[in-house]
Amino acid sequence: MAEIPNLRLSLTNSAENVLVVRQALTGAAACLALDAIETNDLNTAVTEACNNVVMHAYEGEEGPLEVELYARRQAVVVVVRDHGRGMRSPEHTDTADHTAMGIPVIEALTSEVRFDEPADGGTEVRMQFDTPNATALEPLAGDAWEAALATVPDPGKLAGAVELRLAPTAIARAVLPRVLSVLAARAHFTTDRISDVQLVADVLAANAGDSITGSHLDVGVAVAPRNLELRIGPLVTGRGESLMTAAADGLAPVIERLTDGQRIAATRTDFAETLELRLVDQR
Amino acid sequence: MPSTVTKQQTRLRTAPVTGSDPQELFRRWQRDGDASAREALVRQYMPLARGLARRYGRSSEPFEDLLQVASLGLLKALDRYDADRGHPFASFAVPTILGEMRRYFRDSGWAVHVPRGAQERALKVRDAQERLANEHGRAPTIGRLAEYLELDVEDVLDALQAIQAYDTLSLDAPRPRADGETAAYGDTVGEDDERYELVELDATVTAVLGHIQPRDRAILRMRFVEDLTQTQIAERVGISQMQVSRLLRRSLEQLRTLTHAG
Repeated sequence: MAEIPNLRLSLTNSAENVLVVRQALTGAAACLALDAIETNDLNTAVTEACNNVVMHAYEGEEGPLEVELYARRQAVVVVVRDHGRGMRSPEHTDTADHTAMGIPVIEALTSEVRFDEPADGGTEVRMQFDTPNATALEPLAGDAWEAALATVPDPGKLAGAVELRLAPTAIARAVLPRVLSVLAARAHFTTDRISDVQLVADVLAANAGDSITGSHLDVGVAVAPRNLELRIGPLVTGRGESLMTAAADGLAPVIERLTDGQRIAATRTDFAETLELRLVDQR
Repeated sequence: MPSTVTKQQTRLRTAPVTGSDPQELFRRWQRDGDASAREALVRQYMPLARGLARRYGRSSEPFEDLLQVASLGLLKALDRYDADRGHPFASFAVPTILGEMRRYFRDSGWAVHVPRGAQERALKVRDAQERLANEHGRAPTIGRLAEYLELDVEDVLDALQAIQAYDTLSLDAPRPRADGETAAYGDTVGEDDERYELVELDATVTAVLGHIQPRDRAILRMRFVEDLTQTQIAERVGISQMQVSRLLRRSLEQLRTLTHAG
């Protein structure tokens, strides 16, 4: 069985998306209790791999960028993948060319690195970082569902979307607020509204364990000026409603109060649903 | 003999220029001790050191300190590089320079303490946020804050995160109010708290909310009963919007813990 990443980001290879990756990694690093140097190593190496995809993979065109993080015992593995043209060879390290600095940087900061060109095209950089004191992650309950739900549709089929897959809840709590913050910043939200976005992220992440089917939480985010659209799933049927109306007791439902639109959508399977939320900064 | 030939060639040259064949410069420096060759190499590879300092040390302040460390790493690499092995210099220099920066971070306690620079930056972001919010009557965007403080968007986002994490930026300090008076935190909260005595709560809820400090309870209600924005709450209570954000997140977290435990 293929190993399930603790964090997966699917985005396009725009330069601004590298910041999304960095913020996600910073969150994951905090969750795993990496120290500042380990976090810096991780961020720097992965940034180089992503920048390579931004600049070279699609020769000026737009294309997918995928980043996966696996938290292992005493090591963190990050895979950066594109579906573009092949990698610039590691020998191509002309010192005058700053972009070529990337590979030696990756090699210097990882304990192990592999550059692959999978048969179906593109490039995969698999980086391992030794993190002897990292906190181990407990898997989410409900792993047995994984096989049955392998075909549950991604919730994030939105134009210009960033898609996130998170497991378990601990990762979601650390990563989701940061990723949604950076995307809200991109949508020109004010700090006031970004704080609301963080509260929404907190609530979603904290309740994910009880709400999702399968072993991970998928969050798709579409960004437009002053507008964020989120799709959250796959949720057990009926849980979308309870997430939406979950209230810190005695207060108005947190999600309803903080968002400007809510909708529950059925997915292709009849035992899962998606919660769709819209946040606007009206200021 | 090759070395003699090299020397002769060297003598024939005029002042070394950037872009000279590095292998040749390495021979002149390492074999012949030609200091001008070393200078030329430093000039040629300084962009590498600078680039690495920028990439690896983006959250470190001040940048000049780190650049100095990176330059030291470059000098070490220039001394130790073995040109005859045929590897490009960069593939040798990059790990050497990164190693130097890492050691610097370790030795300076950067790994365990929040660097002073980051703390100061967080405070700057908080203050700028308040200033801009007061000037324009609404909270600024991240882009505006970044522009105002001449920081990256990433720095501002990290600062916001840091503000949430620090107890040290403490939030019990008196804050200036809109009318220019300084209000102690407890005073303002008392008023608000009374106002909310009237909100009806059932017994369980009261029990749960009872664990949360009165000021935080008041703030929760302003956001989730009265539907005030965080900026409005900040004005009313006399704290910054960042603090409101932090307190709200903390209160919600605490509520969840309590209800789960119960």
